[in-house]
Amino acid sequence: VRCQQYPPLRALQASAVLSGASDEHKKDSWASSSQQHFESPPAGHQPEEKSQGPHPSYTGQGGQESEDYESEEQLQHRILTAALEFVPEHGWTAEAIAEGAKTLGLSVAAAGLFHSDGSELILHFVSECNSKLSELLKKEQKLVQLGEAEKKPIDEFLRDAVETRLRMLIPYIEKWPQALSVLLLPRNIPSSLSLLTSMIDDIWHYAGDQSTDFNWYTRRAVLTAIYNTTELVMMQDSSPGFEDTWRFLENRVADAMTMSNTATQVQSTGEAVVQGLMGAAVTVSN
Amino acid sequence: PGAGAALRPCSSRVAQDGINKPVIDRIIRVDHAGEYGANRIYAGQMAVLGRSSVGPVIQQMWNQEKNHLKKFSELMVAYRVRPTVLLPFWNIAGFVLGAGSALLGKKAAMACTVAVEESISEHYNNQIRALIEEDPEKYKELLQVIKQFRDEEQEHHDIGLEHDAEATPAYSVLKTAIQLGCKAAIFLSERI
Repeated sequence: VRCQQYPPLRALQASAVLSGASDEHKKDSWASSSQQHFESPPAGHQPEEKSQGPHPSYTGQGGQESEDYESEEQLQHRILTAALEFVPEHGWTAEAIAEGAKTLGLSVAAAGLFHSDGSELILHFVSECNSKLSELLKKEQKLVQLGEAEKKPIDEFLRDAVETRLRMLIPYIEKWPQALSVLLLPRNIPSSLSLLTSMIDDIWHYAGDQSTDFNWYTRRAVLTAIYNTTELVMMQDSSPGFEDTWRFLENRVADAMTMSNTATQVQSTGEAVVQGLMGAAVTVSN
Repeated sequence: PGAGAALRPCSSRVAQDGINKPVIDRIIRVDHAGEYGANRIYAGQMAVLGRSSVGPVIQQMWNQEKNHLKKFSELMVAYRVRPTVLLPFWNIAGFVLGAGSALLGKKAAMACTVAVEESISEHYNNQIRALIEEDPEKYKELLQVIKQFRDEEQEHHDIGLEHDAEATPAYSVLKTAIQLGCKAAIFLSERI
């Protein structure tokens, strides 16, 4: 399972926030844009920063610190995970991150660690969903290997995988269009594209794709198109239980299967025709 | 049915942790492309010289290349490596090179073989060096495969020489041109 970790942004600012624990005003200036929403940060909400002892190092991503000292990346990860709970209410914003930080006992100024447009929060969410999907697909594969489950036909497998992944958006569906537009910002495109391609590759891998020719690209391109269009349909869907979306998905997957069937048929017809012509040529020349 | 013969229950996977994925990716991608191209070159040569006296020799070398391609295709699936986008292009370019050199005569076909196999041997040697520098224990299986293939490509090279490759008119021009092409192909296939 390949987990996509996007690089934590603003590492240097993070260390300043964490090490300058005693200086409230310094931290206030980082999150100045969102300050109007907060009262002055509650006193005594510094335990995390103070207890970390000497200033944090960013060199060690796990090897060089003691057990109770977490790396910056882990801290950011925890803040973002906690922030997701507040997204339905606040959107993908610094407010949600601040609320998340509060639940962890951190100062709300920890939101200053991140961009104000919520990029990291959204990328974190996408990465988490992709990991969850990989885990589920892996479990399903194990069951099939142990003989405890039937192997699904390919169209059903693809349909289920895409549906499972899209269902993870349901709690955040109101605010998802906003997230999509942030993911399309030029700054975020490398990360969001990489997350998308690795998710699609994962789905095909667990579907049993073993192509080593150009089909590798064709299949992934087709599935990406299916996923993206279904996601857009879902944004506009108001039917109960998103049944319109799932029906759309089923039709698109069926179209893709038909297309590939037709392509195979065309190819074998073409080969048969060529063989016939060669045979005729040999006959004529004899 | 429909979706093609390349769908089977996914089983053969290599543990992906601890290996230098970008390096292994490149190695397998370019080697797969190389064997695919070599296949097409021999196919082109057979199309022209299949019924001549060197037909059986070329056929035998082609069979070995087919095995190489099969092995790299398996490795590609096991390591989850993306094939190069340029495969359709190598398909045509390889066939044209093979057929073109064969149309120039048997010796020219052998010269083409010598040039290509020399490039490939050198390329495999570079990879073996790189892998040994990384970690010979971790990549033992891959090293074994590449070493064996390098030895077989070297054999093809020697067979080409035995069949009067060097007697080709404009041998050094032909050889240089083909080897430049191989270098470019290797460079591109590693990256795209």
